[in-house]
Amino acid sequence: MKILVPLKRVADPDNANKIKIPAGGATIDTTGLEWKPNPFDEYALEAALRLTENGATPKTRGGEVIVVTFGPKECETTLRAALATGADRAIRVDAKDDELDGSIVAKALRAIVDKEKPDAVVMGKQAVDGDSNQIGQMLAQHLGWPQATFAATIEEEDGALLVGREVDGGVITLRVKLPALVTVDLRIVAPTSVYSKQTKRDFKYNDGVRFAALPAIMAAKKKPLAELKLAELVSDTALKVQYSRFEAPPSRKAGIKVKDVAELVTRLKNEAKVI
Amino acid sequence: MRTPGAEPIELRDLARELYYPASPLMRPDPLALALSALQRFSSSPAVHRLGLYRPAQRLARAVVREGFRVGTEAGRRFTAARALARPERVGPASPGDLFDLNLTEEQQLARELAQRFANEVLRPAAHDADAACAPPADFYTRLDELALSALAVPSALGGAATEASVVTHALVAEDLARGDAGLAVAALAPLAAAHALSRWGSADQQARYLTPFVEPTPPRAALAICEPRPLFDPTALSTRARADGAGFVLTGEKSLVPLVGGAALFLVAANLEGKGPRVFVVEADAAGLTATREPAMGLRAAGLGRVTFDEVRLPERALLGDAFGSVDFMQLIDLARTATSALTVGVAQAVLDYTIAYANERHAFGEPISHRQAVAFMIADVGVELEGMRLLTWRAAARAEQGLSFHREAFLARALCADKGVEIGTHGVQLLGGHGFIKDHPVERWYRDLMTLSVMEGGLSL
Repeated sequence: MKILVPLKRVADPDNANKIKIPAGGATIDTTGLEWKPNPFDEYALEAALRLTENGATPKTRGGEVIVVTFGPKECETTLRAALATGADRAIRVDAKDDELDGSIVAKALRAIVDKEKPDAVVMGKQAVDGDSNQIGQMLAQHLGWPQATFAATIEEEDGALLVGREVDGGVITLRVKLPALVTVDLRIVAPTSVYSKQTKRDFKYNDGVRFAALPAIMAAKKKPLAELKLAELVSDTALKVQYSRFEAPPSRKAGIKVKDVAELVTRLKNEAKVI
Repeated sequence: MRTPGAEPIELRDLARELYYPASPLMRPDPLALALSALQRFSSSPAVHRLGLYRPAQRLARAVVREGFRVGTEAGRRFTAARALARPERVGPASPGDLFDLNLTEEQQLARELAQRFANEVLRPAAHDADAACAPPADFYTRLDELALSALAVPSALGGAATEASVVTHALVAEDLARGDAGLAVAALAPLAAAHALSRWGSADQQARYLTPFVEPTPPRAALAICEPRPLFDPTALSTRARADGAGFVLTGEKSLVPLVGGAALFLVAANLEGKGPRVFVVEADAAGLTATREPAMGLRAAGLGRVTFDEVRLPERALLGDAFGSVDFMQLIDLARTATSALTVGVAQAVLDYTIAYANERHAFGEPISHRQAVAFMIADVGVELEGMRLLTWRAAARAEQGLSFHREAFLARALCADKGVEIGTHGVQLLGGHGFIKDHPVERWYRDLMTLSVMEGGLSL
């Protein structure tokens, strides 16, 4: 099976306090930020790797995993990490971060799918920076493919994927015919979440995303990494989403001390209005 | 002055391990009962009064030795899988800019990987591994995913090394130690052995011993340098080797050796009569070799112990190096010192991270304790010293990587790390107050690890 996995780099959520908003709030200042792959995209890559291997012999790839990202040259580190983890080749669509919105990325991905003709697109359900949760759905629409969103389990069948989605009160299982698009949720990296046709059903993965081998990091630079221009993929590059203003969340106000229970009750009633 | 391994054997620990086996390799057996009885016997006041303490200890120790021999990976067969015309070496790295501390993309990715491994595998296992004096059962399956040892194996032999990568090794060591130093030593000991074989091994030694390090299950191996005596100096070894016919005979004792419970291969530093310090490749099942677990104060998860050599007969090929180059012993020590410095930096970073968070969260007198200058200044001192330790270590590693002399730099890094590492460990315990003394918080473990790291390769006694 040939699988395309779109990746996005996001500002390291553990260092979110480094994000600065210049006066006026028209943009976000990203200087000095550390970048990490979007966690849901890492889960998508792990799912794609599991779908193209026999779990018992993970070094032999029974298919092809192609990773693609949009952004400046520095984004190639994200791709190289994915290549070290097991992806076969990578594509970077050269673009500045402020030239992109969900609509443009979905259209560009459609052009890449038309060219690469993968059997499936497996991607994170959303990026943890913008939290838009829309590219997967838009891409499936553009392609006219069946889609299964928020996948918690995937099982490969002949010509189809059996996808489990966790919903309130239970699990919905969808059978999507290939080619198909799947967006994944965090449960997809549990030990028994993904089975290719080659992987025995009693095989259990380690919980979470696999570790790359250190030598694979050195070998990753030998794997193919192609560069495409955004304008070659999308004719209309006008942004559909305009950011009008950014502002930091209000800082927390200092608390107060009360003398006794009576005052506490009064204040809860009259000021906080919770009783 | 501290002396490595001079303390008497911790029988109680050994007995406890036999009762509560930490790894499936060590199952409880009747030996445990006998040992427990012996332990009670040897430590009873009557034994002391009658002057029987030493003999009783020796008896108990002999029993323990036999018990533990079973658990080793000894018996792994090393055969020359292919004939090499000459050993494979990797050349020095090309020098970078004059002063550029930016990591390459590969170093950055290696570092992120090591950090993730430290956070997800090492730190959660650290507490129990420290108590059990051994890595957890699934440690090696997770570790083998990283294929760490292959970093040191030349690419011509199937490994990943195309040029010297000492800085990458140091970065990985630092980040693994940030998770847990004991487990980091367990993880890195085979890399150190592979590195020495790659740097100095003969064609036959590389074919026989180095190529297995790129297999899916690489051998567990360790350097044995330290000796249990006061003022240990790695350049004046009391472990001796003498030429005997075509081979050598090795006699002596090594302490603070990692992985004694499980290593298949030891690289042993010994004084070759008439020649000076040399390194010998010794398989763990050699007749006359006894590996005894001897948990130390810190780095307990590394399974530290003592290895004794009683007239061990070694073939000619056991001497590391050949006509293409013999061991540069001082360089080996300097590399080991750089590795120990990197480990110290990692543990010290863990202390800093932990104490900053603690001092900001812990309230006393109505405000976080970090508002007290006595606390804030102490943490700031740790931050300043730590950065100095790191820069000296990186400098030694960078010079080693570029093939420049790094003896002075390695020593400076080692001296500062040994000194300030212990101080940072103490600060960590102090900053947590009462919480610094209990095992609910990791700083007491880091204190013990930093103390132990300070005596590796004879640290402060030089």
